[in-house]
Amino acid sequence: MAYSDKLVDHYENPRNVGSFAKGDEGVGTGLVGAPACGDVMKLQIKVSPEGLIEDAKFKTFGCGSAIASSSLVTEWVKGKSLDEAATIRNTDIAKHLALPPVKIHCSVLAEDAIKAAIADYKAKHEKA
Amino acid sequence: MMVEPAERPISCASCGGEVADAICAACNALQPPGQIDHFARLGVDRSYAVDPAALERAYFAAQRRFHPDRFAGRGAKEKTFSLQHATLINEAYETLRDPLARARYLLELEGRPLPGGDGQTIADPELLMAAMEWREALEEAETPDQIADIARRLVAETGEVEAALGTAFAAHDLDSAIHEALRLSYLVKLGSELKRRRAPGLARI
Repeated sequence: MAYSDKLVDHYENPRNVGSFAKGDEGVGTGLVGAPACGDVMKLQIKVSPEGLIEDAKFKTFGCGSAIASSSLVTEWVKGKSLDEAATIRNTDIAKHLALPPVKIHCSVLAEDAIKAAIADYKAKHEKA
Repeated sequence: MMVEPAERPISCASCGGEVADAICAACNALQPPGQIDHFARLGVDRSYAVDPAALERAYFAAQRRFHPDRFAGRGAKEKTFSLQHATLINEAYETLRDPLARARYLLELEGRPLPGGDGQTIADPELLMAAMEWREALEEAETPDQIADIARRLVAETGEVEAALGTAFAAHDLDSAIHEALRLSYLVKLGSELKRRRAPGLARI
C-alpha cells in the first residue's frame, strides 16, 4: 500500500516533538490512548494570555499514521484560538494525510488529543 | 466425555433420535457444532483462572475427538461438521490460552466489551501516563542490560496485572477487570516493542 508524501514527510520529519512542563499555567495537556493498537498520544498546547495557541508539542508512541496525525495537528493549531482549534476534525486530518481506511482511527486519536488538551487548559483556568 | 451438554439439537441430524452429545449415542453420527461459548466448547469452567496444562489437555482431547481424519469415511455432512468442530475448537483454545484475549472474551460474555474496539480512544490519565513512561524508558534504553531490566520489570508487572484480573473476575468486579485488561493491553504492546528492539525489523507506518 502506498502512503501519501505528506504522511511520509510528517512521519520521517515529525514537527514539534517534545514536552512542556505540565504544571505550567499556560499549558494544556491532552493524553489519549487507543488500547486496541496500544497507541498512546500526548499533545500539549501553550496558550498566550490573549487566548491564542502560541506553541504546541506532542509525543506519540504508535504507528506512523498516529505520529503523522499528531504532528500535523501541532502545526495546524499554532496561532489559532482555542475555539478555532476545537473545530479540527479527524476527517480533515485523514483527508490531508490521505490516510487509508484502516488508519482513520489514528486521526481520531489526534482529534481527541487536541480536544483533551483544550479541555485541560480550560479546566485549569476555570479554577483560577 | 460430554463436551457439549448445552443446546444440542433435539434430534440427531442423521437418525432423528434424541441426542444429548455432539455424537449421537444411537447411531454414532457426528452432530453440527452447537452455539456454545469457548469454555463449554473445551469443557472447562468459565473462569479467568485457567490452568494452562489442563486447558491444553482439554484442547487436545477435543481435537482428537472431532479430528476430520476420524470422519474421513463418513458422509459429506459429517465431514463438514468435523471441520466446523475443529475450527471452533482451535478458535476457543487460541482465545482462552492468551491472558488478554481471555479477559476480552469474558468481558464480551458479560456484555461489557473492552473499550477501544472500533478505534475508540480512552482517556485514563494514570494508565496512559504509565504506558507512556514504559515506552519512554524503552526508547531511552541503550544497553542490552537496560533492555533486559525493562523486560524483567515487564514480566513482573504482567504477572501482577494477570493476578489482579483473576481477583477482579472472581469477585465479578467488572470495572476493575476492564481497568486491568486495559493495562494488560498496553503491557502486551510494550512486549512486542521490546521484541522489535531486540530484533530490529522494518519500521511500521
